[in-house]
Amino acid sequence: MNQAEVTKLVSKLRIKIPPKHRKMSSPEGPEGRMNKLRKTVTGLFKYERIELNHNRADEARQYAERLIAEAINHGDCHKPTMEMADYWLLEKELVHKLFKVLVPRYENSNTAYTRMLRAPRPEYSYNTEKTVLELRGNPYPPLHNKQANNRQLLQNILLDAAKYEYRQTKYAEMAENIGKNEQEKPSV
Amino acid sequence: MSLAIRKCSSDLLSITKWVVRREYRLLSTLPENIEPANTDVDEKAPRTGRRPRLQNPVLEYRHIYPEFLPDPNPKWRNSLREKLERADMLKRRAKIDIPEFYVGSILAVTVSDPHAQGKTNRFVGICIDRKGCGLRAQFILRNVVDHQGVEVRYDLYDPIIQSIQVLRLEKRLDDELFYLRDALPEYSTFPFDMDPEVLPDGTPVPINDVQVKLKPRPWLERWERQELKGVSNIEEHLKEKDRKRRELRKEPWEKYDLMKQYRRTIPIEEQSEIWGEVYNQLQQMHVSRRKVARKRVLATPKPQLG
Repeated sequence: MNQAEVTKLVSKLRIKIPPKHRKMSSPEGPEGRMNKLRKTVTGLFKYERIELNHNRADEARQYAERLIAEAINHGDCHKPTMEMADYWLLEKELVHKLFKVLVPRYENSNTAYTRMLRAPRPEYSYNTEKTVLELRGNPYPPLHNKQANNRQLLQNILLDAAKYEYRQTKYAEMAENIGKNEQEKPSV
Repeated sequence: MSLAIRKCSSDLLSITKWVVRREYRLLSTLPENIEPANTDVDEKAPRTGRRPRLQNPVLEYRHIYPEFLPDPNPKWRNSLREKLERADMLKRRAKIDIPEFYVGSILAVTVSDPHAQGKTNRFVGICIDRKGCGLRAQFILRNVVDHQGVEVRYDLYDPIIQSIQVLRLEKRLDDELFYLRDALPEYSTFPFDMDPEVLPDGTPVPINDVQVKLKPRPWLERWERQELKGVSNIEEHLKEKDRKRRELRKEPWEKYDLMKQYRRTIPIEEQSEIWGEVYNQLQQMHVSRRKVARKRVLATPKPQLG
């Protein structure tokens, strides 16, 4: 049983964290793994939406989330956080983006900062799962359009028609009932 | 005659002061002192972007009672077991005073021992390691007795422990002091009749920046690869081969591994919950102990101080 480290305080991530890291096979060993992830994190911060293999996306997502959480917790005047951003973001203008754009964007959010969606698998491919990784609140059109609210969808048109028909029959019944009641009344 | 009386009374006063100070010292690193420090930092730096979030002051307990935090390994987490363990720890702490101490502090531990004379056994030594969490928390004391290094590992919540006394409260430059095993014996020799040292009220725990000298090789571990701050003469014992290997074995990227850090710690949200659960009882215990200690000393002042 180990004791938890107490020198650093971290805020809880809002995504599911696997108990162990992925090794991400690389001839340079753990350093190569970190370099791969750095590239992915930099790409994510630059383009805000990228498509890549699931393994790498899931691993890079955790690091991106941690980096944003650190930036939110410590601000831009904290030297270790600045060094961390400098290491993880290979293009230095992205450090400004992190502190000036992303931190204000996610400061008051209570969900995860990134979103991971499954992408269609390329045909005749090996068993590689593709994933779209994106920052929340990005300027692109949403990937999952909410079909439930789309009135032009065939299912919704049919449902509307069925509802209309049902309502019409009910009205007709009610009208008949009213007529009957009026006929009965004078006799009583 | 009157002079003598006055002197006596002043002595008494000084003793009481000393005692009061000592009792306040016990939890000097607690929130009262931490809060102003935080606000200072905030005022000093005019922030361009945004200021950091204010931390819950209760979180400072993590330095004093690290064993209340569970093991961060998700395979071994079990919220119910952790809760029961914390309750048991508090029950044990109500029976026996487990003081604040750190790796590098000098402790005296008395345990009951059916085979010893007087049925108790007292050991004094420097705490070289503190590990484990929950009821399995343990610490290792090291001393040199009759030119022979002796280490005793105690379980912090072991029922055979009768008392734990902190003789000198301080930290060292490193988190583990296993290198004392390969250091000259004078660095881990402490007399068994040591008097407890008193720290003035409100001071932070002092850091002893002594750098020990290692004995020549062979060593128990490759100390040169561990980036130790508390060792002064490590370069003397190295060959060119060792220096090369050390360079090859360095892992400068590890300090940037954010997820590795995350997997080793308990996040703030979970910690606040844990400390919120145990804070009141720990505080009550501390206050009641302070009261009892004050009463006891006022009744019988120690002769060595007068």
